[in-house]
Amino acid sequence: MSVAEPPGGPSARTNTTTNGRRGTNETVGARRIRGAFSAARDAGRMALIPYVVAGYPDAATSLRIALAAIDAGADVLEIGLPYSDPLADGATLQRASQVALASGATLGASLRLIEEVAAARPGTPVVPMGYANQFLGGGDGADAARQLTSAGAAGVIVADLTPDEGGPFEAIARDVGLAVVYLVTPTTAPARRAAIAARSGGFLYCVSLVGVTGARSSLPPTVGRLVRDVTAVSPIPVGVGFGVSKPAHVRAIARAGAGGVIVASALVDALGPDGTDVARMERLVRDLAAATATPAKAGTRR
Amino acid sequence: MTLLGERDPGQHGLPPSDHDDGGPADPRRDAGRAGRRNVIAEIAERRRADIREEMAGLTLDDHLALAAATLPPRPVVDRLAAPGLHLIAEIKRSSPSAGRIAGADDDIVARARAYEAGGATAISVLCEPHWFGGSVDDLRAVRAAVSIPVLAKEFVVEAIQLPHLRAAGADLVLLLAVLHPARELAALVDRALEIGLEPLVEAHDEREVNRAIATNARLIGLNNRDLRTLEVDTDRATRLRALVPDDRLVVAESGVRDPATVAAWRAIGFDAGLVGEALVRAADPAAAARAFVSAGRLPRDPANAATVPFVKICGVTDAEGILAAVRAGADAIGLNLVAGTPRELELGEAVALARVARSLSAAPPRLVAITADAGRERIAAIVTALDPDVVQFSGDETAEDLVAAGRPAWKAIRVRATDEPAGIVERARAFLSAGAERILLDAAGGVHPGGTGTRVDPTLAAAVAREVPVVLAGGLTPANAAEALRSIPAVGVDSASGVERPRVAGQRPTKDPLLVSVFAKRARAARVDRPNLAVRPTPVHPGLLEADQTGRWGTERQFGGRYVPETLMAALEQLETAYGAIRHDPVFWSELRELLSTYAGRPTPLYRADRLAYETLERSVALDPTARLPHRLRLYLKREDLAHTGAHKINNALGQALLTRRLGKSRVIAETGAGQHGVATATACALLGLPCVVFMGAVDIERQQPNVLRMQALGAEVRPVTSGTATLKDAVNDAMRDWVTNVETTHYVLGSAMGPHPYPTIVRDLQRRIGDEAAAQLADVEGRLPDLALACVGGGSNAIGLLDRFIGEASVRLAVAEAGGDGIATGRHAAAIAGGTPGILHGSRSMMLQDAEGQVLEAHSASAGLDYPGVGPQVAALAAAGRLQVEAATDDEAFEAMRWLSRTEGILPALESAHALAVLPRLLVTSGAAWADETIVLVGLSGRGDKDLASFGAWLAAAER
Repeated sequence: MSVAEPPGGPSARTNTTTNGRRGTNETVGARRIRGAFSAARDAGRMALIPYVVAGYPDAATSLRIALAAIDAGADVLEIGLPYSDPLADGATLQRASQVALASGATLGASLRLIEEVAAARPGTPVVPMGYANQFLGGGDGADAARQLTSAGAAGVIVADLTPDEGGPFEAIARDVGLAVVYLVTPTTAPARRAAIAARSGGFLYCVSLVGVTGARSSLPPTVGRLVRDVTAVSPIPVGVGFGVSKPAHVRAIARAGAGGVIVASALVDALGPDGTDVARMERLVRDLAAATATPAKAGTRR
Repeated sequence: MTLLGERDPGQHGLPPSDHDDGGPADPRRDAGRAGRRNVIAEIAERRRADIREEMAGLTLDDHLALAAATLPPRPVVDRLAAPGLHLIAEIKRSSPSAGRIAGADDDIVARARAYEAGGATAISVLCEPHWFGGSVDDLRAVRAAVSIPVLAKEFVVEAIQLPHLRAAGADLVLLLAVLHPARELAALVDRALEIGLEPLVEAHDEREVNRAIATNARLIGLNNRDLRTLEVDTDRATRLRALVPDDRLVVAESGVRDPATVAAWRAIGFDAGLVGEALVRAADPAAAARAFVSAGRLPRDPANAATVPFVKICGVTDAEGILAAVRAGADAIGLNLVAGTPRELELGEAVALARVARSLSAAPPRLVAITADAGRERIAAIVTALDPDVVQFSGDETAEDLVAAGRPAWKAIRVRATDEPAGIVERARAFLSAGAERILLDAAGGVHPGGTGTRVDPTLAAAVAREVPVVLAGGLTPANAAEALRSIPAVGVDSASGVERPRVAGQRPTKDPLLVSVFAKRARAARVDRPNLAVRPTPVHPGLLEADQTGRWGTERQFGGRYVPETLMAALEQLETAYGAIRHDPVFWSELRELLSTYAGRPTPLYRADRLAYETLERSVALDPTARLPHRLRLYLKREDLAHTGAHKINNALGQALLTRRLGKSRVIAETGAGQHGVATATACALLGLPCVVFMGAVDIERQQPNVLRMQALGAEVRPVTSGTATLKDAVNDAMRDWVTNVETTHYVLGSAMGPHPYPTIVRDLQRRIGDEAAAQLADVEGRLPDLALACVGGGSNAIGLLDRFIGEASVRLAVAEAGGDGIATGRHAAAIAGGTPGILHGSRSMMLQDAEGQVLEAHSASAGLDYPGVGPQVAALAAAGRLQVEAATDDEAFEAMRWLSRTEGILPALESAHALAVLPRLLVTSGAAWADETIVLVGLSGRGDKDLASFGAWLAAAER
């Protein structure tokens, strides 16, 4: 089954009454995320979405890191929930996950972090990111959706959940007001990109490259074209991530017309080997934030 | 029909179109458009001129007289209707495409004899002089030198050539559809048939095929070569084959590279292959012919043999029909004793025909007396007089009537299109449980039972055949038998009216021997090299047998799916599409079977381990002296350890390596635990010239050194994985990360029946031959299925490979042994089912080891191949449905079993396989239902233990201290 051709024929794709098929873009959480994107756009820039690993290097420090990232210019904050088998992640985030788990990170602790961040910086939507087994496991994900929402999360990113499998979880997320953010990648066929965009809540996560997460010294030359193509078919803002590590990357993505940019591994790298160099990470966030200004004509596009 | 002299000699043009198909495409015009020469048009024109000259002094009557005086033709269609693909070996001195052919100056008579010695069924002789250097004299010389039929490979442009060729000794003649409009072609065919010359009508595109099959020709040739341009498209014949009805005999021509081409033709359903240049150039023509003949034979493979349906020829009315059925290898012959039906025999006639059948063969087909509501007295009379092997009841008899016959009883159930499958299944089960040996499904509606020529609704038939074993009857013909057997899991077919000559009013129908042969051939070949067809009843929930469209398994479709990063979705969809195209493609499976047989050592032996059986029973008694154990245990080991590379993994690796080629990808990655899958993949990649990277946990590299060295020796790169627990699950993670990064060029050869859809299906399909072979091998030696089938399970490829065959067999208990590590109670184990919970791991939902928050737990097992926290979705589905008993063996128990097997049988098993042996004494003791006195147990011995010698040695040293 593909998103572009769901069982039941082509009409099923646009069938808004089918369970899960109308996406989560009308939830409270999605509206909050879209609000953050449009506030940034109104200010003439892309939204900046830093990523922090819950419990890395430990619970207390990760809270400091999260707040520092927001204060340094985050419009939305992505919080990674440490996972034993993060198969979409490169070396940096794998290691951070392992360290966090080794220092006692649990789902409870991650939820507390979300709650504390949400309480301390209520204006910044928090979007946790994790893997299907953490949210769905053997069930339907109802517990996870409820817990995340009551902790204050606006949305959720599930690295190994596509709309093909996500329908039932979307229905549950809708009930609690949580946005389910989907990803498109360079290997996603054009028709499928539009179909995924139509199902994503809050924003559409555009993966810049074919590969796993991790800071890259340069982005693939095709990224501008990819971002333009994805943006053209997406009814909601497009955030671009994977590999983004420096202001030049951010500027290139802004030029291509993206609504936002996600930076993860580079920030974890900036925290240093023991994960405590918060000041250095904060400087990087500021530098990246300064690069988010959108070209004047692009600012009127959306 | 144009005969010589009826057309303006100066015309030389192509005949006018006289049919809706537009007649032959004008070859000259086509080639002119392309601005190239048109070879066939040139040859045809030249032929016309020649013939005019050659025949100038002769009349048609001269030729007919000549033909009448010629020795009778040698029969050929009967030979081609025999099983397999037959070689038509060609003799030609030169050709427009190849010019003068090296070696063609040889003595053609010697060459023809060599072809015959090599097993050719017929010889084709080029008669055209200018382009091919042939002549009718060549034909004459060859015909005189051999005893097999000879094909005149001539460009027939005028009907008058036919008697001329027959007179020269031709048994067959080539007619090119490209040269004749439809009506003219049909007339040529009829003319040839009249004079005993078997026409082979050759086509090379869809229009020509339609023209060819509109004639009475029994042989249709499909040519890969376009005779206008001489270009060869090696897939052309394959594509066109589907357009030719199965009741014709079909010959493939041109484009033969090697015997593999012929094997592929056989797999697609060609009856003969015409091989020219590849043979003509051979230095040793007999040896070359033999290689092609051998490639065309039906494969001898137990896994295939088990799919061959039972064939019954019903309503035979004369001795010729009996002979035809015996020659065709029918399993049963029906003699109709139902009063008032068209094929009714007097009892005396039936007795005489039975005598004929029994005189023809030491093991004749079973003779079936067909009755309908005959009453017990009449049945008794029939049994006494005819002594039938079987009495068939085709009326409204009851179960008691069947028993009273005192003979094996078959019951025909007449089905109306409006019947519900459930009702028919219920009736069939009632007859079966009353002792009926077979159930036939026949279409109701005719006035007479049987022979109505009406087919049972296929959907209804399939629904019934899925639940109970049935023989399909009603309306089956050579043209539709194969298709019916592929779409309906019936165990046999029965044909009466479908294999008869055209009816003559007032006469009893008679069988057409050729149709009988072709029917049997088509039915028996229908499922060969199609291992993924349902071929027998499987009365269990479909979710235990196949994934649904979204890749979900289980009675609630609660396992499986496709939980992967979006980057991989396109690759999985590509894989799904590509695999969908080959899943029932006999060419792929034929190629793989050949590789498995000649390269990997399949079929692997089935070995009866009597000393191990004794040891096992002793241990069962020690566990529980009061347990009800079998009196005799016949313990069979399916010896996958004897497959190339020492484990079942090679089955999957070779299959996926061939698949990689079909996907057009140039690089292979794989994960490995014990190293067996890594070695198998490295082997397959070396064989096919594919670069290969194997991901292996650093911990496993340490404990499986020999396999690391083997992979490296085979040219694979072994990439150590240090993340996570540095074992198999982390190797899978890293393989997936690599795949995410290199997905455009790389195929991931997943090693177990797990992972995202469609991997669990692909790997199961590639491994299912373990159980298919074992079942057929057991049937050979025991005549029945096992009482218990048992395998070890990690990811599940060995387990599902052995067990899949038996899922739908209610009499077979299924069990698996998981790796219990230090014991499930200790929490240090790898028992994903017995000690795990449902969750999502490596792309699908199944049973797995995890904590309450969904973190994957480390598995613990001394056996690297089972040291994995998950299991494939089909195995999980079977366990959840209660169809599979799940046991666990601890490390100690597995090592102990490794010792028993080594010392009782001289077989050093892999530590993985030893887990299965370890739980057997317990299974025998604790099983709920009683065991048969003579119990047959089938155990999958998945691999050999050389790789485990270091850890086994250490355990032994400790145990024996």
